[in-house]
Parts: sequence; structure tokens; C-alpha cells
Amino acid sequence: MSKTTIIVGLGSCGLAAGAGKTYNEIERIKNTDKLDFELKKTSCIGMCFREPLVEIIDDSGTYLYGNVDVTKVDEILEKHIKNFSPIQEYIVKSDKFDSPDKDFFEGQVEIALRNCGHIDPESIEEYESKNGYAAIRKIANEKLKPEDVIQKVLDSGLRGRGGGGFATGMKWKFAYNNKAPQKYVICNADEGDPGAFMDRSLLEGDPHSILEGMIICGYSIGASEGYIYCRAEYPLAIKRLNIAIDKAREKGYLGKNIFGIENFNFDLKIKEGAGAFVCGEETALIASIEGERGMPRRRPPFPAESGLWKSPTNINNVETFANIPWIVFNGPEKYNQYGTEKSKGTKVFALTGKIKHGGLVEVPMGITIKEIIYKLGGGIQGGKKFKAVQLGGPSGGCIPEYLSHTPIDYDSVNATGAIMGSGGMVVMDETTCVVDIARFFLDFTQKESCGKCTFCRIGTKRMLEILTRITKGEGKDGDIETLEELSHSIKDSSLCGLGQTAPNPVLTTIKYFKDEYEAHIRDKKCPALKCKELITYDVIPENCTGCTVCAKGCPVNAISGERKQLHVIDHEICTRCGVCFTKCKFNAIKLS
Amino acid sequence: MSKIIEIQIDSKVVKAAEGSNLLQVARDNGFDIPGLCYHKKLTPTGACRLCVVKIDNTPGLIMSCTVPVKEGMKITAFDEELEQNRRHTLSYLLAEHNEEFDDSYEDEIRPLIKRYNLEKPENRPLKPIWQGIPRVVDNTSPVLTYDSSKCIRCFRCIKACDEIQGKGVLSFADRGISKYIVAGFGEWFNSECDGCGECIQLCPTGAIVEKPFRESLKISEIDSKVITTCPYCGVGCQTEIFVKNDTIVRVDGVDDVSPNDGRLCVKGRFGYQYANSKKRLTHPMIKRNGVFEKVSWDEALDFVSSKFSEIKQKYGSKSLAGYSSAKCSNEENYIFQKFIRIAFGNNNVDYCTRLCHASTVTAMLKSFGDGAGSNSIEDFETTDCLLVTGNNIIDTHPITATYVKRGKAAGQKIIVIDPKWTPLVKYADVWLQPKLATDVALLNGLINIIIENGWIDKNFIENRVEGGMQAFESLKELASKYTPEKTEEITGVSKEKLYEAAKIYATAKTAMIATGMGMSQQTVGTNNVFSLINMCLITGQIGKELCGLNPPRGQNNVQGATDVGASPVNYPGYIPVTNEDNRKKVAEIWKVPFESLDPKPGLTTIEIMNAAYDGEIKAMYIMGENPVVTDPDRHHTVEAIKKLDFLVVQDIFETETTEFADVILPAASLYEKDGTVVNSDRRVLRLRKAISAPGEARQDWQICVDIAERMGFKIGSYNSPEDIFAELAKAAPIFGGITFARIEKHGIQWPCYDENHPGTSTLFLEKFNTESGKAKIFPVDYKEQSETPNTNYPLVMNSGRLLYQYHSATMSRKSKVLNAYANEAYIIINPEDAVKLGLKDGDKVKVTSPRGSLETTAKVSDEVLKGETFMPWHFNEAPVNALTRNEIDPMSKIGPFKYSVVRVERV
Repeated sequence: MSKTTIIVGLGSCGLAAGAGKTYNEIERIKNTDKLDFELKKTSCIGMCFREPLVEIIDDSGTYLYGNVDVTKVDEILEKHIKNFSPIQEYIVKSDKFDSPDKDFFEGQVEIALRNCGHIDPESIEEYESKNGYAAIRKIANEKLKPEDVIQKVLDSGLRGRGGGGFATGMKWKFAYNNKAPQKYVICNADEGDPGAFMDRSLLEGDPHSILEGMIICGYSIGASEGYIYCRAEYPLAIKRLNIAIDKAREKGYLGKNIFGIENFNFDLKIKEGAGAFVCGEETALIASIEGERGMPRRRPPFPAESGLWKSPTNINNVETFANIPWIVFNGPEKYNQYGTEKSKGTKVFALTGKIKHGGLVEVPMGITIKEIIYKLGGGIQGGKKFKAVQLGGPSGGCIPEYLSHTPIDYDSVNATGAIMGSGGMVVMDETTCVVDIARFFLDFTQKESCGKCTFCRIGTKRMLEILTRITKGEGKDGDIETLEELSHSIKDSSLCGLGQTAPNPVLTTIKYFKDEYEAHIRDKKCPALKCKELITYDVIPENCTGCTVCAKGCPVNAISGERKQLHVIDHEICTRCGVCFTKCKFNAIKLS
Repeated sequence: MSKIIEIQIDSKVVKAAEGSNLLQVARDNGFDIPGLCYHKKLTPTGACRLCVVKIDNTPGLIMSCTVPVKEGMKITAFDEELEQNRRHTLSYLLAEHNEEFDDSYEDEIRPLIKRYNLEKPENRPLKPIWQGIPRVVDNTSPVLTYDSSKCIRCFRCIKACDEIQGKGVLSFADRGISKYIVAGFGEWFNSECDGCGECIQLCPTGAIVEKPFRESLKISEIDSKVITTCPYCGVGCQTEIFVKNDTIVRVDGVDDVSPNDGRLCVKGRFGYQYANSKKRLTHPMIKRNGVFEKVSWDEALDFVSSKFSEIKQKYGSKSLAGYSSAKCSNEENYIFQKFIRIAFGNNNVDYCTRLCHASTVTAMLKSFGDGAGSNSIEDFETTDCLLVTGNNIIDTHPITATYVKRGKAAGQKIIVIDPKWTPLVKYADVWLQPKLATDVALLNGLINIIIENGWIDKNFIENRVEGGMQAFESLKELASKYTPEKTEEITGVSKEKLYEAAKIYATAKTAMIATGMGMSQQTVGTNNVFSLINMCLITGQIGKELCGLNPPRGQNNVQGATDVGASPVNYPGYIPVTNEDNRKKVAEIWKVPFESLDPKPGLTTIEIMNAAYDGEIKAMYIMGENPVVTDPDRHHTVEAIKKLDFLVVQDIFETETTEFADVILPAASLYEKDGTVVNSDRRVLRLRKAISAPGEARQDWQICVDIAERMGFKIGSYNSPEDIFAELAKAAPIFGGITFARIEKHGIQWPCYDENHPGTSTLFLEKFNTESGKAKIFPVDYKEQSETPNTNYPLVMNSGRLLYQYHSATMSRKSKVLNAYANEAYIIINPEDAVKLGLKDGDKVKVTSPRGSLETTAKVSDEVLKGETFMPWHFNEAPVNALTRNEIDPMSKIGPFKYSVVRVERV
């Protein structure tokens, strides 16, 4: 009989939901009641909508408890640990019985996320127990040459998971072919898209897999130094990376002649980004590491030719590196059995927005948007209608419901006008106004533009002005055409990905929801009832009971009416904050 | 050299160097492709997108500024689509650009607006948005104003500061459309910006503009633009002077010419106010009953000539002497020394070089046969290693320093030897901070380490050094006493640092030395430089390209004045006066009997003053010098001058010295004359008259000629400085091939022996200029100073210069702009000494030496070592030379400005 283990998910998502307190409570009871189980930490388990998550593994099976706030700890330990009786209603996943959330996991294939939520990310031993550092050892033992490793990566069909989708093996090959004495490997961990948290979860959950991926890359291209460029807004990721690097150094996995490979020296540094979105662009990222203002440089030369400190440099993103050890260890054939003809393997997505089961999922390429949203994601919150999904963050585009059969692969997604991006999937329902969404993303890119290219700098500002006008009901005929013109100017005339893709949210929403734009412009109406200047709140006389709750809640005193009398909203004063709408228990407030 | 290839632009075949910039190639061949972010002196940016072209077989419109040309490229530079696209781009830029131009600058955007017919707002596809962007105006700098509403974020100012000047002060703040230029971490004035104005010169839109004359100046109504050489330090920057109503209203750098290629420093660009100052001398004046009275030139010249003749008759020709001037042209110095030698009949002519690089020149002449810098200014960028000793090069030779900083950015190794921190330390690989006046020991220590580690160049010693290895052995023996331990004990510099510096210098592929006042202005100045030369010779770091020894010169013509004979020992071109053949040759050119030329060397600057003090010199003719401030031991100088029977001072301003004159003669400033000067890298450069001399002020050479004539000597009849230069070229073979016509655009570096000689960029490549053609090693021992700190005077004072002021400050302190940066004297005291003396930063203190005392302000800083202090010497209200010694270096007769014992007390 092996020892019972309790694992608490302590990723940023878990901690935010109170998992830290849950962990402390379990520990406290374990000590006071002298309970015999092993208490362990892990990172994000993926089911962000059920945080805090606590997994109990005993001889009988595995049981994942969801929403374990501190008040439930005592009960779970009492029943499950002391009395060996799992509480089925709290369990979200188990190998013993079906749970309502089982669909979330069905259809997922864990490659990049293989260790996330399963191991203690601060323990190098746990990583090693899951074939960690076995890929680089395999390279050493089988005396694989750098060309051999690059060939494996090429054969796997892995394409850059940062969004560009360039073949990873090709990128390595370019860097390899450049015979410079000094080369660099950079991990782009500057995940800046609103609503994206794939990289953060990987860094927090399995930092050693990134390290191993980078070591393999260093060996393959002939680099002796690596940088992980991680945004400073990810303190937990940085902490765990630092622990991982220290432990790897202690074990001699970083340093000189590592893994017994003669003359293979490799070490890593972390460079914390200062919060500029554009630093996710590889040349701006390089400038930032060099201590310059993070601004894109013209390409060519590409980093593979002249990158960091003018040396050949290979940059991949976090997820790409996380796949590498698995591919090398299990072989490319095993990897490319997943996916489509041109997009192999799996992709991690961060599901957010109006979806029921928000969280982190890893799915094989080729799965449709619909499957992700309805099967894994459990559909739309509150039974509302699914409207569209934003793929690829501010650089991506909006895919409407009627294209939700689109399979997830680079080429199919590009064909819609969106991009795969790094994996942010923001789901919108019928209450989301697409014009407002386009405005939101443009506001973001406009602020985050480095300001170098004329069109990106001035054009995005101009577009934002127009979109803001439209959402205020001040749109004019010709605005849509001007937006399209400006979009094309910006796309054609910008140096880096930020500018080239910044108009995507506008272009795709115009493409798929032109009628909504027209409604705003011509009829001064927001069909989604979202744009404040275009909506009114009114009391429905039949339903109003005169309970005064709305009047008391109104922050600007726009509602008048005596107790038990009909209340009235003064549109002049009303700021359309919607407090009355949410407070009314009698459905007596209407939005129009 | 890159391969020359052919490309086609709009079907025209164009030749270009492979890899050169496409936009530049197109423009050079007459294709006027617009572009605002590109500047030929900067790395391409590719921001504005105005320079788009089409390239066959390449999709899209390509920014030509980012394309290196390749064989066979076919370019479309102009067609309707491109012009439409450019017009579209320009209208974007105009949308964020505030067009409220003032008329004080020419920008590059207005002509483009016209060209693309975008003058009328209704012609612009994009409406203005600049009013909606946060506007940042920085008005804090004394020299410029920045207005973000006129800025198109083209990077040119940032790159000008970084890539051209090597300062890196400017950057962008904020993001996207709100971004603006920021200096340092905030305001311009509180940043490290030193006001050089490179950013102003390169700004294409008027976002950064000059402050002086901004309100009144209409740039389109400028009367003239004149190219001349900067009147300040010895770099010799080529400047373009903008003149309106006979007043200088702006100075810009001239592109594409050496030594500065368009760069200027704050003094060169903004220090011109003195020329139009109301304080200029405008009339000759004779002191009568203690009061200066304006007189006519006739009266003044008659009076001066009769007094000189009278004294000469009464006391003999030995009783007369003259100070020539490093601020005057070659022609004027030539005439002045000719005047002294013919009219005074002796060789008592010297000038401030005696106070600056006399020791360096003495040592270099003895060892190498030439006393001038061996390299060109460009070499400061491309040599592998630069050793800078006793030379605050960033402050005193700012444009030479730009080459150094650019070199550093490209990987150059820099060694700084200086007892005081200088800004160059920030760029240094090693900084050796020896105690004051221990340089000989330090250098012998380095030589010892070099020998011990076998880093010598035996081949060089055998072939290029007189006495070969035998001469080396004598140096080795002497240096062996200076073990690292012993050297550390004397100098305070750690063994490790000595080793590091010795290794970098000796093992560098190419290494150059810049040596400054810190080395030369000591009683052991000549020995200091001998030690440097010894190190140079045993490592073979001279006599080949990018190697050598260079004394950057402090004044615009300090090099030229000696070159043309303002020297008690040499005729023009370093021809010794003591040699009879030389005298004969010179006498023939000057058309005087050779017997009339004095065969004995004359007195040097300090010797002249001492002789005056002793009553041997009775009359002096001082042209453009201010010895009361610049000579050591001010009290002694004043006493000496007071003892003179007759003193004539010819200058552009009243100075501390004119006070004691009997006659003051008003002269033209450098902006008011034609002629030539020689800069630190021996480049003969043109001066051109930009404005008229005020009142009745006259050209210095004309005054000399007139006085001589009235004394009964004809020293020549010249119509212009060009005539004088022609005679000079005959007298001095090193100038033999130089004419005004040849140096119309680019200067020529002497020696240049005939009209086909291209000039000499590096000295000593084939041989040294000694009789044997080989260099000489002079082993020298370290000597302690004659005065050392004691209970009465426990500290040592060092002195030096600041970027913003210039020498005795006669010129620079007339500039409001320069004064806004630095206008106060101070003494730097080490924090430990300050604690001991109970002093805080800003305390008023009295500084006393055995010679005198002064009051100033304490500045507590670890820029100096414990026991040492430092004062800038520009400020007459705290005259440093009231404290310095009247002791001189026996060989070069230089004064010890860098070492005086003092005590400091709170007032």
C-alpha cells in the first residue's frame, strides 16, 4: 500500500482563488491531527474555473476536488482521508467515476502541459522522475549530432507556437548554419496578449521543461548562452525559473561540459521585461536585452544571422521549447501523429471570456473551434448565445459563430483573417459589442505601439479616434471605408508584427459584423446593448413594485420615485452604469 | 575597398560601392528621393517611410534607406504609385506635426509640403491630430528648446547624440504617438547634455531649435554664410558662420571635412558671442596719467615705435621682448616673430606654448625630431588601444573625444592615467590614479612590467632606435628599480592595475597615446614625456599606422604658432636660429643682412618675465596673450610687468594684463580675419573673414608691419595673408607644398614639401626626423618635487580646465550660454580631507600657498585622492596662478601648474 498524496494547485490562478490558504489549512490539520499523507504542491492544473483545486491520490484512485476553499478542507480530510470516503459532489475529475466536468479533459492531449499540475515545479527530482532531462541525456548517450537533433525537430513538424508558425527546425537550421563563435538562445516569455496565460502556466508549472528545451536548442545550434526574457508582471514564474536554474546549475545541468558532452557549455540568464507589449516582437526583445529601448529593428538581417549583440540568435517561445524534450525523447513520429497535414502536434489555449469553463487546455491541431468551446469549454455562460471568438489577442481577429467549424490549424485560422497567435481564445456572447471589442484592442495596440513607424504610430491613433466616435454614436458615413484604408496602410507599412497585425481586430469585425458597425453609425444603436452612449435604461411600469432598491443603489441619483410607487430614470443624469439593472429583483429595468 | 558595382535606377545605370546605402547612392546620382529619418552620418532607421522605392523581383514598396546595394539591382525611384505613397505618408506625418513654424530655422519638412502640394489643409487626406496628443516642451537647456508637437519621432537627434557625439543622452519616453524625446531622466538642463547642439543640427522638423536669436532671426534673410576654423581649442573644427547685419547669429559644423565632419562642441557652436561683444576694444589707447585715452592709429603707432626705438637705443636690443599668440593666425605669428627678429633684433619671442606643451615638444623633438602629434584625429577612433594620460580629453578636446567614444563603442581599449577623475574614466578599461607628480615612477613601473613579461618589440628597437638593444639595456637597468611593489609604493597604484594597463598597451595590435597638460605642466614635464616615449619605443607602438604619441593642443593655433617660428630657438619650420646656414637662408628670404639676425636663442615666456622682474627686459610687446592670468605665480608676474618701462598689449578685449599696459592696440578677432591655422594633427586650415572688426580694430599683422616700418624696418609688403603664407611656405619646408588654393576645402597635414605632396597623415612611418633617422631613448629617474606637503600647507593643488570655459575666459565668459553652464570657481576636496577640515560642499574657503591666497567655494568629491585638490583656472576672481610656483622645468622652461602645496580653511 503506497502512501496517500494530496496535491494542491498553487499556480497564479490557484493562489488568486485562495489556494494558498487551502494549502496552509491542510497542512495545519495534518500536523494537529497527525494525519499520514504526503502534502505536495503543484502548479496550474488547467481548470481555472474550479480553483482552488486539490488532488487526492490514494490506492483506490485519483480524485480531483474543485472549488476547495478553506472552509471545505476540514470536511474533505475528515471524510476522504480519515474515513476513506470520497465526497463525490465536490469531485471534478476522477478515474473512479464520471464527473460533470469530465468533458473538459476529454479530447485534450498533454504534451507541452505534460507535467503541469502533476509535479512540484520547484523540485528538479520530480521533473526528472517524469523523464525530465532524459531527452538531453538521450542525445548525450546516443551521441546524436546537432544535425540529428535538428532533423528530429524538422520531422516533428513543430511550428513556432508564439504565433508566427515558422517551422522551428528551419529556424534552428539557419542558426546552426551560421558558423559564428558566439551564438545565443532566447526564450520569449514576454506573454503580453490580454487574456493569454499559456506561457505563464508553463513557466510556473514546469520550468525545467523550458530549460531542457533551451539546452537542447543550445546544443543543436552551437550556442553557449541563453536568455529567458520574461515579463516582470510574472513574479511567480520568475521565482520558479530562478529556482529551476539554480538547481540545474547545482546538478551540473547548466555550466561547462554538461551531460558529459565534451565542449558543450551552456548557461542561462533571466532578463525581466518592463511591461512593453512590443518587446514580445523578437527584434524589440533583443534590443531590450541589450539595454536599449525595446523597439523593433529592421529585418533582414534576421536574428539567426545577426541577433543579440549582433551574434546569431535563435528565439522561440515558451510553448515551443516545452515541446522539444518530449519530441526528442519520444521521437518525431509520435508527435506528428497528432494534428493536420501542415500543422502538427498540439496547441495550448487559454480559454477566457464568456465561456463556462475557462482555463488552460491542450488540444491536437485540427480540432474545431466549436469543439473547444462547447465540449471542453462547456458552452457559453448563463445560457447566452455564442457570438464570436477572438483568436490571437490584439494581433488576431474575430471569428464569428458561423465559422466555428473552422479547424484549429495555422492555415485555416489565417484564412479567416484571424491568426493562431500564441493561444489566447477570448469567447464573446451576444452581449459583447464587436465595435467596442475592436476599439478595446486598438486602444491597446495604439498605446503599446513603440511609435517608430509612421503609420503604426499615427494610423492607430486615428483609427482609435474613429472607433471611439462610432461607439459614442458619432459615426459618419465613410468611417468604415476610412478604417479599412487606414488598416491597409498600417499593415503594409509597418516594420514589425505589432503594426502589421494591429488592424486585424478591426478588419475582421468589419468583415463579419459590418451590420453592427452600420447600426452604430446610421441608426446610432448598439445591437449588443453595450456602448453606453447608445443605450438607455428604463423602468418597466408593469414590473416595478416601488421597492426603492434601484434608487438606493444608483450612484448618481438618477432614479426617483416614492416607496411602492413607480420609479423613473432620468436619462440626463443616468451614466448607464447598469447598477439598477443588476439590483432589480423584479426584472423591472429594461435596456434598450 | 568595396567592389564597385552597377545598378539601375529608373533605367539609368549607376555605379556604386557594393553594400552602400541605396538611398544615398540614389541621392548622390541626382535622384531626389524624399526621406526625413535618414541622414548620411547615421545608421539607417527606416521609420518615416518616405524613401520607398520599388526593387525588381522584390514584393512591395521598400524603404531605400534600409537597402544595401547589390550588383544588378533594378530600382524604380519615381512613378505615380510611389509618389502617391510618399504624399500619403507625408500627410500622415503632417497630421501629428504642429506647423507653427518660427523663422529661425530651415527645416526639411516645409520644402516637402510644397513639393507634394499639401500646403492647403483641404488637400490632405488625414486631418490634424497633433492637438490631441500630449505636448511636451522642454525649455530648460541654455542652448535649445524641444517641442514634441513638431517632432516626427525620426530618431535623428537620438542617433546624433549617440552615434555622432558618443554621448547617448537622448532617448524616447512614453510609447506610441505620445512618445517624445527625453534628455537623461527628465529635463534637458539636469541631464548629461553638454549643449553641443548636434541634435539641433540634425533635427529635420524644427522640433529642436537653437535658443540664441530665436526670437529675432529670420534664417531666410541671412546676409552670408562663411566657412572658417573654430577659434577655440586645437582640434580645428570647420564651422559655418551665419551672419546678419555684421553679427554672428549662428554657427554650424561643416560636413564631410576633417577634422570634425560636421561635429561641434558647445563652445564652437555657442561661444561666438564674444566677437560681437560691446566690450571689444575699438580704438587704440594710450595711458596718460594712469588713464587710458582714445587716440588715433597714427598717434598710437608713432608712440609705440618711438618708445621701442628709444628703449632699444638706451638699453640695447636685449631689453626688448615679445609674446606672440596661439590665438592668432599662422600669418600673424609669422609676421610677429619676423618683427621681433628684425625690429627688436633678438630672438626674444615666445608664447603660451611654453605654458602648455613646451615640455612635450622638447622631449619629442629630442627623441623623434618632431614635436607635433604623430597621428590624425580619425586614428583616435580606429586604433585598438588608446592611452590617455593627464588629458581630460572629453572636456578639453570634445571633438577628438567623439572619435574616442566611437572607437570605444566599436571595441577599442582605453587606458586612462590621471590623478583626477575625468569623464573619460567612464569609458576606460583601466584607470590608473597615481598621486600627483609621480608619473615618471608610474611609467618606469609600466616599462619594467613590459620588459619582465617580454612584451617588447625587439625588431623595432633594433631597427628604429638609436643604439638598438644597447640603448634598451640602459633603460632596462634603470626601470628594474621600479618593481611593481616599489611603483605601487610611490604612486599608490596597485600592482594588478599596473599589470593590466601595461599588458593592454604593450600587446595591443595598435596603440596610441594622448598626453596632456597633466604630464607637461610640471617641473619634470619633459621627463614625464621622455618616459612615455620610452614606453612607446620599446613596444614599437609608434612609427606605424594607428600608433604614436599625440599632444592634443589647447588653442586653435598653438601648433601653428610654433610651426611658423614664434619660438626663441627656431625659425619657421623648426629651423634652429643658432645655425649660420639657416640664418643665411632666412635672411635671404626676408631680404635682410644675415648679420642682423641674432645667432643666440632668445628667452622663453617665463624667462622673459623673470628678466623683466630683474630689470633686464624693459619693454614688451604682447599680442593676444594674458600673462597675468596664465603665467604661474601671479604676484611675481604682476611685479615683473610693473617694472617694465613700456608695455604694449594688442588684444581684442581689455584683460587683466591690459590694465598694466602703456598702450593698448585693438585687434581683429578670428572671425574677422583671413589666413590659416594649424590644428593638433598638423592640418593647415583656412580662416575666412565672416564679420568686420569693430570700430578701428585692425589685423594683427598689419599693426606689426606698421610699427616696424615706423621703427625704420621694412618687414615686407603684403597685400593679404595669402601673400604672407606664400613667403612662409618658402621659409618653412614643411609648408612648402601648401597654398591657399590647395586648402580651399580640405586642410593638408604637414610636412608637405612640394605641390604634389599629399601631406602626411602619420609621422615617422619610414624614419624619425632626427639626424640618424632613428628615435632616441632617454632613460629618466623619478624625482620628488621641490615642495611637498607640510604642516603649514598639508594639501596639494592640481589645476585644469572645464568644457564650458576657455583658458583665461576672456572669450568664453562673454557668452551667456557658456556661463549658464559653468560660471563659478571652486576647489575640489576629497571627502576625508573635508571631514578633517570640517568642510561641507558649498562652504566658502580660503586657499593659501606660499605664493598667495584666494577665496573660492569648496566642492567635496572623491574625484581627487586624499591629500589632493583641484581647481579650474578660468576664473579671475579665484586666480589659481596666485598660488602656483615660479619654478620651471629646466629643459623646457614650462611652469608647474599642476602641483602647488596649499592649505584650505573655512572663511
